[in-house]
Amino acid sequence: MPSRFRRVLSSSVGTKLLMGLTGAALFVYMLLHLAGNALILAGEDVFNEYSHMLISNPLILPIELGLLAVFLLHVYKAVTMWMSNRAARPVGYLKKELAGHTSRKSLSSSTMIGSGLFILGFVVIHVKQFKFGTFYQVTDSTVRDLYQTEIEVFQNPFWVTVYVLATLLVGLHLRHGFASAFQSLGLDHPLYTRRLTALGVLFALLIGVGLAVIPVWVYFRY
Amino acid sequence: MRIFLKVWRQATPRDRGGFVDYTAENISPDMSFLEMLDVVNESLIVKGQDPIAFDSDCREGICGTCGFLVGGVPHGPDPGTSVCQLHMRRFKDDDRLVLEPWRARAFPVLKDLVVDRSAFDRIIQAGGYTSVNVGGAQDANLILVAKTASDKAMDSAACIGCGACVAACKNASAALFTSAKVAHLAFLPQGQPERATRVVAMVERHDAEGFGSCSNEGECEAVCPKEIPITNIAHMNREYLRAMLVTRD
Repeated sequence: MPSRFRRVLSSSVGTKLLMGLTGAALFVYMLLHLAGNALILAGEDVFNEYSHMLISNPLILPIELGLLAVFLLHVYKAVTMWMSNRAARPVGYLKKELAGHTSRKSLSSSTMIGSGLFILGFVVIHVKQFKFGTFYQVTDSTVRDLYQTEIEVFQNPFWVTVYVLATLLVGLHLRHGFASAFQSLGLDHPLYTRRLTALGVLFALLIGVGLAVIPVWVYFRY
Repeated sequence: MRIFLKVWRQATPRDRGGFVDYTAENISPDMSFLEMLDVVNESLIVKGQDPIAFDSDCREGICGTCGFLVGGVPHGPDPGTSVCQLHMRRFKDDDRLVLEPWRARAFPVLKDLVVDRSAFDRIIQAGGYTSVNVGGAQDANLILVAKTASDKAMDSAACIGCGACVAACKNASAALFTSAKVAHLAFLPQGQPERATRVVAMVERHDAEGFGSCSNEGECEAVCPKEIPITNIAHMNREYLRAMLVTRD
């Protein structure tokens, strides 16, 4: 990597550009993940067929590795940025109020590192439970019965709670992250910036609540 | 009016400092906030004590010299107002106010409410100017600038460099200041020759001074006495991307 490129990407603005790009990629993934997982509502066969189609695709490994790299880059940049941001104010205020007025500061924007780290921990458990979880096989076929695995996990109210909490936190993270990514990438215009913020709230609700519905549905169905 | 103040007092940059309580008595609601502090300081001087140090110059809200936190908000509760233009009628009798200096690694406290903002000067020195020699003054209207461009450039150039954006930001980022200074030149023909090197150099200086990065919350915009919008920050990021990917110098 040429040194100019590295210098640029490690600067405060370059870091935000990377956060925006990786964040946008992860957002697109979350949309696909929601769409795919929602197939569980369509029943056992459809869901298992979909998951079989994914894992039997030879491109799945490079895509997974790419996704992992994007995810890790997002996490790494977030943590290092958070640490240098904290170092930028060694002495805090006795009293600090929200500025109000035009400020967009929200619960979501002030908890990005917290919600992010929780999601990081959750993703490790989630991948272990599903991708590397109990392997059942559909009778008389080579297809993996992921449906069975999912039912098994969500029999446990503890896991249902963890999954609902985590997916709602994904929504909270996206509430700020969606619009923020556009701003970081310099995509800003009086015509659409306000609409993007509203769209971010909508997507946050869709993905957060949409994913939270699945474990609850499975729990009450079985 | 009577106002109870809790003021940060710090004798020297190395001193630990701490909060001291004062009571401002016989305050007229028509006084500006700084005039109220003048009254407090006069009473301190009469008592033989060290007056509270704070920065001020024009007291008209246009120079950017004054600034500290009033009740947890940079420049106090009024939007689009520097602390010199904040008036005591904004407060109620017997209000309790905490006065604190800007807090940032890049803005060390010099004394009481006065901080060293020379980091801003060094960001400007890194590229916030044009250095190309263009010869003698040209005829008026020889270089045409669209009205929209000149308006936008002026909106960004309205930044008075007070530092409230840094003080308000949870990351102590100077992204709003730096971006306003990048943007006002980027809009104009005079800013084009060094457009790419300027943004990269100013962002690098910004980082080297120890400011944080932007979290796109817009607290800076909300406290800015000149109401500089964070659209400038998006603009700076665009300029930075352009400098990185398109420009070859």
